[in-house]
Amino acid sequence: MGSVSRRAFMSALALAAMAAAGPAPAQDVKGKLVLYTSQPERDAAQTVAAFRKAHPGVDVEVFRSGTTEVMGKLAAEFAGGQPKPDVLLIADAASMEALKNDGRLQPYPEAKVDGLAPGSFDPGKTYFGSKLITTGIAVNTAAKSRPASWADLAKPEYKGQIAMPSPLYSGAAAIMLGTMTTRPDLGWSFFEKLKADDAVAVRGNGAVLTAVASGEKAYGVLVDFMAFNAKAKGSPIDFVFPAEGLPAVTEPVAMLKTAQNPAAARAFVDFILSDEGQKLASSMGYIPARASVGMPSWYPAGAKINLMPTDIAKVVQSNSDNLKRFAELFGK
Amino acid sequence: MGSKTATSLTPESTADDTSITSRTSTLLRLVALTPKLFEDYALLTWLVGVVAVLSLLPLARLVAEGIAPGGTLSTDAIARVLASPTTWTATGHSLLTAFGGTLLAVLVGTAVALCVGLTDIRGRNAVVFCFVMPLLIAPQVVALAWLQSFGPSSPLLKMLGAAPAMGSRNPLYSAGGIILVLGVQYAPLVFLTLRAALRTLPQELIEAALAGGAPPRRVLRTIVLPLMTPPLLAGIALSFVSCLGNFGIPALLGIPGNYVVLPTLIYQRLAGLGPGVLSEVAVLSMLIGAIAVLGIVAQESMLRRRDFRISAATIAARPFELRRLRLPTEVALWTLIGIVLVLPLCALVLTSLVPAVGVSLSAATATLDNFRFVLFDHAAARRAFVNSFGLSATAAVVIVAFAIPLAYFLVWRRSRLLRAVNLVTEIPYAVPGVVLAIAAILLFLKPLPLVGVTLYNTVWIILFCYLARFLVLGLRPVVAGYHQLDRTLEEASQIAGARLPRRLRTVIVPLVAPTAAAGALLIFLTAFNELTLSALLWSSGSETLGVVFFSFQQGGDSTYAAALGVLTVIVSVALMLSTLLVAKRLPPGVLPWRD
Repeated sequence: MGSVSRRAFMSALALAAMAAAGPAPAQDVKGKLVLYTSQPERDAAQTVAAFRKAHPGVDVEVFRSGTTEVMGKLAAEFAGGQPKPDVLLIADAASMEALKNDGRLQPYPEAKVDGLAPGSFDPGKTYFGSKLITTGIAVNTAAKSRPASWADLAKPEYKGQIAMPSPLYSGAAAIMLGTMTTRPDLGWSFFEKLKADDAVAVRGNGAVLTAVASGEKAYGVLVDFMAFNAKAKGSPIDFVFPAEGLPAVTEPVAMLKTAQNPAAARAFVDFILSDEGQKLASSMGYIPARASVGMPSWYPAGAKINLMPTDIAKVVQSNSDNLKRFAELFGK
Repeated sequence: MGSKTATSLTPESTADDTSITSRTSTLLRLVALTPKLFEDYALLTWLVGVVAVLSLLPLARLVAEGIAPGGTLSTDAIARVLASPTTWTATGHSLLTAFGGTLLAVLVGTAVALCVGLTDIRGRNAVVFCFVMPLLIAPQVVALAWLQSFGPSSPLLKMLGAAPAMGSRNPLYSAGGIILVLGVQYAPLVFLTLRAALRTLPQELIEAALAGGAPPRRVLRTIVLPLMTPPLLAGIALSFVSCLGNFGIPALLGIPGNYVVLPTLIYQRLAGLGPGVLSEVAVLSMLIGAIAVLGIVAQESMLRRRDFRISAATIAARPFELRRLRLPTEVALWTLIGIVLVLPLCALVLTSLVPAVGVSLSAATATLDNFRFVLFDHAAARRAFVNSFGLSATAAVVIVAFAIPLAYFLVWRRSRLLRAVNLVTEIPYAVPGVVLAIAAILLFLKPLPLVGVTLYNTVWIILFCYLARFLVLGLRPVVAGYHQLDRTLEEASQIAGARLPRRLRTVIVPLVAPTAAAGALLIFLTAFNELTLSALLWSSGSETLGVVFFSFQQGGDSTYAAALGVLTVIVSVALMLSTLLVAKRLPPGVLPWRD
């Protein structure tokens, strides 16, 4: 009994000491920080460069790959008992939710979440959305008609013209599936209609972009930034914000329980959520999680994008059933 | 007539030949253990040990994770995977596409090899050069090029006014499309293996048959093809395993039609966020490994039926004169090259010259910005060239140097152990790269026991995986080369007192040099483009070309990816051509593109 209370007292003391120290001031953070990310190559490089400018004492080691590859590497490292990364910055909250359920993530209750879009971060403060990557409809400029809503895509005039990322191979697309199938206005019947319209599910967003920009398909279910970046470079492509709203993934940042350099990991999370980090996201062409820093240049001035709320915990829970149903539906 | 000549040259069956060593009891062997034999056994032990570490250890570690996650034995994953109907659908699809792709690769590869190796067509070296080049272009790039060439966005079909309407379903999104592209992609594997072996075809046999009045077609059927059985089977085995393990082509052509094969199913499982992912991946990998091993067992049983040795000191056969058929043959060959090389290459070049996908190329839109970005603004791309070159060249040299003594034992000192060794070399090449990478991570995450060095997150773990994965690409051609050798020269030098290392160096290496060089080339070209392994294993500073290419493609920057692809082809072609400078100092037949 006595020893228990003593231990409780000691840990209370330790907590108090930590609270007193507060978040370490920037100049004190140093050492090596290992980051695993699925950001596109150039964004990853810019993010790291900006972070290092704010914290010159930290050496950042980056592993960048696709979300599936990053999660595969991480799964092997967990199984081998030596996870290497301090922080993760990966495309979708569902992967983070799965890691959280496995007890891999370190909560960061002091993270500054005021001003962040509601629902963009975990209420348990383990992972925090860094931006909002919405999924809408990409349209080849040579296409005959323009859909105004998701429901439009189910019309017969779009038959054979639609490409979408397959939720079987892309976590972000799986979140989209989980979000849209729970909507009363769309639901599974929307996907059944898409299938009846001969929509094809390709491996990922990159493949959708290629199909629509090259004119193989007229319409694509695609993430916003890819469409707008390609458009800015001259691809014959437009982006439609469907009337029902847009599902979004948040590219969350999180620190691992096993982080070797927790101080630097916290500094990285702080940086991503700071005004500076958010401005960087906006300048790279993403809708920032903190709306106050301003929208990316492609954002329709004065417009308000209608986001579809996603219940991540529920999506993760129903994910394997959803994928099975999707595979059966599109496998016919 | 011809067939009699061929069999009279090879009167003894292989089983008799090897029985003396393999059937002697261990006790007798121990009694007779002279220092010379001891040396042989030391070498053999070392070779078997290396194969065990390379081919068996990583996947054994993964399988251990699969059936005993966290150390407790559980057959849940096995039961779950085997009970899922998707597993069996994917297995059926894998078998169908692997058999179909292999058949096509063998037909195309053999036809081209025979034309180049036996007839008097003009420009043979150019044909060889152009026909192996598709190996340099990553499979998914070839698949994409084909897709675009026959789809609504095809610049060629648009020019002809024959482009299908936007949205028409591309016929390549099907099992047939996968088989077609796999067959074209791997035809050079069969071609290179056969091309090297055709050089040893004895002139006297063919001339005797021709003098005896046999028409060329019968010479082909009764002499050439029977004698070419070992390299042909080696080529079949290689392309079967390659088709079985390919991920890029079914990913691009199969996913849209929901045509799932085992490698794409593994990827699905990895992306599915489910618990116990590694277990399911391990079980599915065992399934692929088992199919690959069965394939090679079938090949072995065919090989054992007869003996294919030919006298080693031979002059290359005089080419068949095609006469009236020469021009049509040449036209057919170059048309084929147009389809398998020029078409994808053009698509690659066109994409690399436009600022964004979908912009049509014209004087106003053409730009070199993509090349400038890749070469000058992107430090990783330059590092990747150096890394990929170093890794692929090292892997090619090390594997071939290892494969020559290993194949000596595999072919001439058969035993059950060696047969097993031969089989396990297939496995790391048959499983998707991502699986081997995960297995290597499990193995090398912690410092190596005894030495305390950590390979993880260094370039050495990538090299280890290259050696494990591409060993079979070097081993198959070399083994085929041994099968064709007459052992008398080696035995003569043995009687004269030369020990094994010396016999290898002075007698055997010169004789198997052409097939060994073909193997080294296969390894180099394949590793230079390798993508799925390094996508999980690279670390800052150890990027490979595949990693950079993958990053570009995945971020939607296909124009950068195309520019990088074009540069890869240019660099590789320059390297291949530069070998001509030292060609005079190499043993004859080492360079497939030089007569």
